[in-house]
Amino acid sequence: MPFTFPHFGSLKYVFKVLLNELGRFDLVMPTKPNKKTAQLGAIHSPEFICTPFKITLGTFIEGLERGATELGMGGCNAYCRFGYYWPVQKLILEDLGYDFKFIALNYESPKEIIQVIKKEISPDLNLLQIIRAFRIMWLKNRLTDLVDKLLYKYRAIEITKGSTERVAQKAFDMIVELKGIRNIKRATRTLPQMFENEIDYDKKANPLKVCVNGEIYVVLEPSLNLDIMKRLNEIGVHVETPITLGRYIDVGVKLNPFKKFHSQLSVAAAKPYVEHRCGGETQENLGDVIMYKKEGWDGIVHLYPFTCMPEIISRSIFPQLSKEYNMPVMSLVLDEQTAEAGLQTRLEAFIDLLSRKRDANEN
Amino acid sequence: MAPLKVGLPRALIHYKFFTLWETFFAELGAEVIISPETNKKIREMAISAAPDEDCYSTKLYFGHVLALKDQVDYLFIPRFGSNHKINVGCPKFLGLAEVLLSMFPDLPPIIRPYYSKAKSGHKNIRLLFIAFSVGYKFTKNPFKILHAFRKSVKAYKKYKKNLIIDENTLHQWERSEVVLNDHPILTDDEKPLKIALVGHTYVINDGYASLDIRKKLSELGADVITSEQMPRDIIEQYMETLDFNMYFDYEREILGTIMYFLESNKVDGIIHLMIFGCGPDSIVGEMAARFYKRKPETLLLQLVLDDLTAEAGLRTRIEAFIDMIKRREKKVAIHLPTLRIS
Repeated sequence: MPFTFPHFGSLKYVFKVLLNELGRFDLVMPTKPNKKTAQLGAIHSPEFICTPFKITLGTFIEGLERGATELGMGGCNAYCRFGYYWPVQKLILEDLGYDFKFIALNYESPKEIIQVIKKEISPDLNLLQIIRAFRIMWLKNRLTDLVDKLLYKYRAIEITKGSTERVAQKAFDMIVELKGIRNIKRATRTLPQMFENEIDYDKKANPLKVCVNGEIYVVLEPSLNLDIMKRLNEIGVHVETPITLGRYIDVGVKLNPFKKFHSQLSVAAAKPYVEHRCGGETQENLGDVIMYKKEGWDGIVHLYPFTCMPEIISRSIFPQLSKEYNMPVMSLVLDEQTAEAGLQTRLEAFIDLLSRKRDANEN
Repeated sequence: MAPLKVGLPRALIHYKFFTLWETFFAELGAEVIISPETNKKIREMAISAAPDEDCYSTKLYFGHVLALKDQVDYLFIPRFGSNHKINVGCPKFLGLAEVLLSMFPDLPPIIRPYYSKAKSGHKNIRLLFIAFSVGYKFTKNPFKILHAFRKSVKAYKKYKKNLIIDENTLHQWERSEVVLNDHPILTDDEKPLKIALVGHTYVINDGYASLDIRKKLSELGADVITSEQMPRDIIEQYMETLDFNMYFDYEREILGTIMYFLESNKVDGIIHLMIFGCGPDSIVGEMAARFYKRKPETLLLQLVLDDLTAEAGLRTRIEAFIDMIKRREKKVAIHLPTLRIS
């Protein structure tokens, strides 16, 4: 039965790798959502649901139209609506008359994931093979994160427009094809070299450095955030994002007592402001202000979908942190109706502000 | 020495736990000041002060806090996660104290104990610990705190027992043998309409936010049951029939009540009050609407409230809904004999 899953930025390669490793090759790869997808989702969605719901619903409808019958989706049990996406989408799609099956993986409980995979996705594999598939997934997720990071860095200072993107696409294709743990580990070293050698960039440039953080889906899905990374890169800004799926799936780092996710440090830094977890990436985003200030970055762009519950909390506390640490923060609400020109203007104004601030500090 | 004044904002979680807190602070010898019932002034303060994307109820909380801030020595804004091992509450409840602290640095000191069984894995014993750490601000006598704690828990349990009816009472209500809320005002000896009023505790009990919907309903001759009164067994039983875990704790009673009445057809209509911008409501509202599509015998009216909802508009919709129910019954009664003739 053809399998499909929502489009999720460069993570779609990671999901593809996982499913291939689990022995599933009958995939309907999701296409990049566009305005039509968002509208398709929005028509059938509840009125004030958060935007990722609408986009994922739109991609599912498109996938079903293209012949998929199994839909893969995440689930959770947290202070977030994400865990209800599939039950509600199931009701909506049933009412639309599609024939399908939802396979929901609760990312908070590894035991449940393995049970569901054994039952629904690949009954022939044993436990070790499943764990091995996941290991390859999280190792390759590290690589896609690395490529994203390099892309956001080199695209800001490239001389020939579009050259970095070509290299990045090549790198993604390479990552999907890579076989064997040793080759994957070697790629961690070869990928930066590949970018360094193949891209002609301005070596003297000292671009502004901006961190983009916020809700995970909005930050990682270019079609929802109107490719904000590219827009910033085109203004000549070096972008980085601390948001990664790795903190949920990278058991390698989780088990290693000597390594820590960036998010863990951010959470620790945010303790005086928000003491306990209140869902989403609230503490992480607040802590990022402190962390990135320490590392010498110039500003933060905070993205969140309309009506996201936890991010409204962080947005309300940002002004205080921004003042205390002298770090400019811009919060942007995004939904499927966000206009490109408006976003562009706000970004340019913010970057102007940052560059003046830098000039004032230098003089 | 004058007793210390502690302020309880009358919004959100207050409607669930006010007995517990009032008794506790009163027993400690503190003067409990509860903000007035929501009124126009509070609403206006709330809308101008609160973050613009919060839901209406959360905005009102800001108004209640601002109404209290000059009268009290302490504000009591607990960070309450949930009282269930897995199911969680609303993230806004957890963030409120910190957001308020960040937005209004001149507030009186906020007492903000943190308690959550889900995620943090707190045990019941932590409540005692919280009671002592809060109590020491008011009295140095540990026995007094222990006494206050015991008494408040007792009062809370009693309140809960009175509020939540058992299945027998529910069936009696369904047969119109008992009245649970206000008596319906009936003109002649017509039968009262059975209406289930479903929504968050802090919406259906807040007269201003819900635009006095309970009063309006009883004026229209409706006998109301609210979702918070429903027996927990029935709700849990319906939650188990779902193919997923309904992990928002406060939403369970809402969806469970709707499912029960859609299935049993024991009421004439269900009115579901939603708040604009409420995350869980967007999910539960959609689910209820889709379940209703599958079982359309009992009528369901979903009303979305926000700070702009006009009273006249709401009244019109409720009247239309009640009229529809009445006509439907009449039509069935008229319709049957004609069928027999033909």
